[in-house]
Amino acid sequence: MSRRIFALDRKRPSRVLPAGTAGWYALVALALGLIGFAIYAYSIQYRQGYIVTNMRNPGRGGAAWGLYIAMDVYFVGVSFAGITVASIARLFKLEVLEPVTRLAELLTISALLAGACVVIADLGRPGHGLLELPALARPSSPFFGTFTLVVAGYLFSSVVAFFVTGRRDAATMARVGPRGLRWFYRAWATGYRFTPEEHARHGRTTFWLAITILPLLVCAHSTLGLIFGIQAGRPGWYSALQAPGFLVLAGASGTGMLILATVILRRMLKLRSKIPDSAIHWLGGFLWVLSLVYLYFTVVEELTATYAGPKLDRHVAHSVVTGQYSTSFWVYIGTMFLGFAIPFLQYLRGKPSVTGIAIAATLVNVGAVVKRLLIVVPSQTHGSYLAIEEGTYTPSWIEWSIMAGAAGLVLLIILVFARVFPLTHGHEEDLTRDAPLPRDPVRKVASLVWASIAIVLVIVGLTDSFRVWSGGELDPRLPYSPLIFAAGVMMLFSTAIVYEVLPGRRVRITSARIVDRARTRASAPKSALPTSIRATQRLANRSEP
Amino acid sequence: MSLRAWFMRIFEDDALPDPDRRTFLRVTATATAAAAIPGTAVAAAATTKRRRHWGMVIDLDRCSACNACSIACRQENNIPSYGPEETFDGARPEWMSMLWQEPQRADALPSLLPLPCMHCADPPCVKVCPVGATYKDPDGFTMQVWDRCIGCRYCMVACPYSRRSFNWTEPTWTASEQQMLNPDVATRPRGVVEKCTFCHHRVRRLCEEAALAGREPTDAECQRLPACAAACPAQAITFGDLDDPDSKVAGLAANPRAFRLLEHLGTEPSVYYLEKDRG
Repeated sequence: MSRRIFALDRKRPSRVLPAGTAGWYALVALALGLIGFAIYAYSIQYRQGYIVTNMRNPGRGGAAWGLYIAMDVYFVGVSFAGITVASIARLFKLEVLEPVTRLAELLTISALLAGACVVIADLGRPGHGLLELPALARPSSPFFGTFTLVVAGYLFSSVVAFFVTGRRDAATMARVGPRGLRWFYRAWATGYRFTPEEHARHGRTTFWLAITILPLLVCAHSTLGLIFGIQAGRPGWYSALQAPGFLVLAGASGTGMLILATVILRRMLKLRSKIPDSAIHWLGGFLWVLSLVYLYFTVVEELTATYAGPKLDRHVAHSVVTGQYSTSFWVYIGTMFLGFAIPFLQYLRGKPSVTGIAIAATLVNVGAVVKRLLIVVPSQTHGSYLAIEEGTYTPSWIEWSIMAGAAGLVLLIILVFARVFPLTHGHEEDLTRDAPLPRDPVRKVASLVWASIAIVLVIVGLTDSFRVWSGGELDPRLPYSPLIFAAGVMMLFSTAIVYEVLPGRRVRITSARIVDRARTRASAPKSALPTSIRATQRLANRSEP
Repeated sequence: MSLRAWFMRIFEDDALPDPDRRTFLRVTATATAAAAIPGTAVAAAATTKRRRHWGMVIDLDRCSACNACSIACRQENNIPSYGPEETFDGARPEWMSMLWQEPQRADALPSLLPLPCMHCADPPCVKVCPVGATYKDPDGFTMQVWDRCIGCRYCMVACPYSRRSFNWTEPTWTASEQQMLNPDVATRPRGVVEKCTFCHHRVRRLCEEAALAGREPTDAECQRLPACAAACPAQAITFGDLDDPDSKVAGLAANPRAFRLLEHLGTEPSVYYLEKDRG
């Protein structure tokens, strides 16, 4: 395996990025086609109203939530797994996962954008939603968590992690990348200098980011499960298993999606040398563990509901397992089981194969979409405590088209990014938070002040939001207090940027660079410096007379 | 503002009506929706001395399932008319509708249950609304501010009685129907959720007229106040203040035949039913 991601070809420095292939262009065309068709489908829904979907009033046995909510939960789940894999890799120094961490973060960001589009498609009045949620969101609704924690937590922290971890590579690319994009790399690098201090600081930031992102992600994703889990009026939803179940299924589907993205990009862009099989094998192991846990959850869930559960819980469970929704249920069981069995058998034989894992990943994702629908729909059509006639719900072509467009958006973002920025880190192997750092009180104080302001905003925003829990108060007293809370969470994460990007004293950095160069010239052991530093220094040396 | 004053504002529940909220309401509320807007409701409640708990009792023994209540409700509250296909499909809003109630015993007859919004004391729909478009009025109404609704439909899936409807299409009326629209009730646009209001506009008008005359509304005035109660030919629907022990509705609610729907969920509905008299 080559660690030298930017093993710069001195003759053709612009070739650090993969060249496009026919498959790549075909996939981009497919993604654009899906997005275009989704826009067309949404225009129909926009003109004619939600009557073009197959969702209807529950008072007549319809489902008021359908594919949109199911897919929103699915996309947010995929994004959950991306950033989780990246954080785990950083925290536990899983070198084997390092080549996929940037792709995992990218998957998080793109899947969240797709999820946001799906929510816009689902809201009856999206404009009002965008204006009112920041001003009036109330914590008694699980949607508060979805709005504040998922947007502020997931999306922003992923963007921060993505930005911070990409600065070093961006700085390298600003020197060797395609000339037309150097402005982009320079903007991303935000003055990154290849000094040991910068490197050590970076080690600290990534560690603290990873350790703060993980618990926030668990909280935020739980609010998605709680959307269903706390509804006592809907048999089949009301269960303490919903929140942990959502986490595990999100992990399974997201890991599967990461595997798929990795395998496709490897093949399309000939990245096999940069992303080795071992990373995919590791993810395959993660996939079968999570699939197995979720299958276990399903068995527990259905047993609890059917054994001696309340009449309607039994009724909903029967409609799922043997009744109207049984086909979907057994498709889910079959795909999930194969998604577990294929990588597990390969693991037992000690011969994991990338193809097998990719097939399993696809199956798990099919199963996850079906299972999300099975969570959302049957409790609405079959779960009324009153004698309301039972209805049915099958998504209309408009709904499917918009969802395919959202998937196309994820595909497009990943495909385009893979051509403009290196997908693999070149320098992470010696990152540690314990590297010695020179005293830098200004940076420390600035970061602490920034973080303190953020914490104050979080407390103030949350306190005022909680006042409107579900009492007579309609509005928070401070205008936009949900936004204040969300901004506080975002500021808290952006402390990482403040800490890293704040310019230091130039004198010392210059001297450090000179010292480094002197060391390199004196042919110090090469492993003392990361690959990309050496690469840059070679470049710098070359340009000198 | 001093820090102390600011904290008082944050933590004191009984502070005076707050200017920010009023400004917000003025800005966002359309003139038509103003009737259902909390600011005015709060102001009205401030002039009323006594808090009430408005409730309804429906006597199933009297009910002949003639559907007059649901027709009257549609007329009163500007619900557009649709064909049978949309109705059975669940594509049109329904505030008051008949629910087929299976017989509890083999020898009993099945009955139809008129089903308005239950105006629960602890409503699941209010808890889940992310923007406070639905809220609990101090007088027991579960209100819905149509102008504030973002159409996420969470309240619809949370309501155990399925008493909430979404506007799946833009509501339309024929020219003659437009002339019959009730000016007291706002029409709802496409993409929002709507529900029974217990004819809140009628209750407010009565209370304000009584306040102008310097008296309290009498129980007799309240008994047939909502459109459904007024239209019921068998006088099966009674409306009034459940907290007033002398009111007819409180007396009926204390009847041994009285029951509420899905009491085990703890929603505390304000609508009572009187079982069919087996005697």
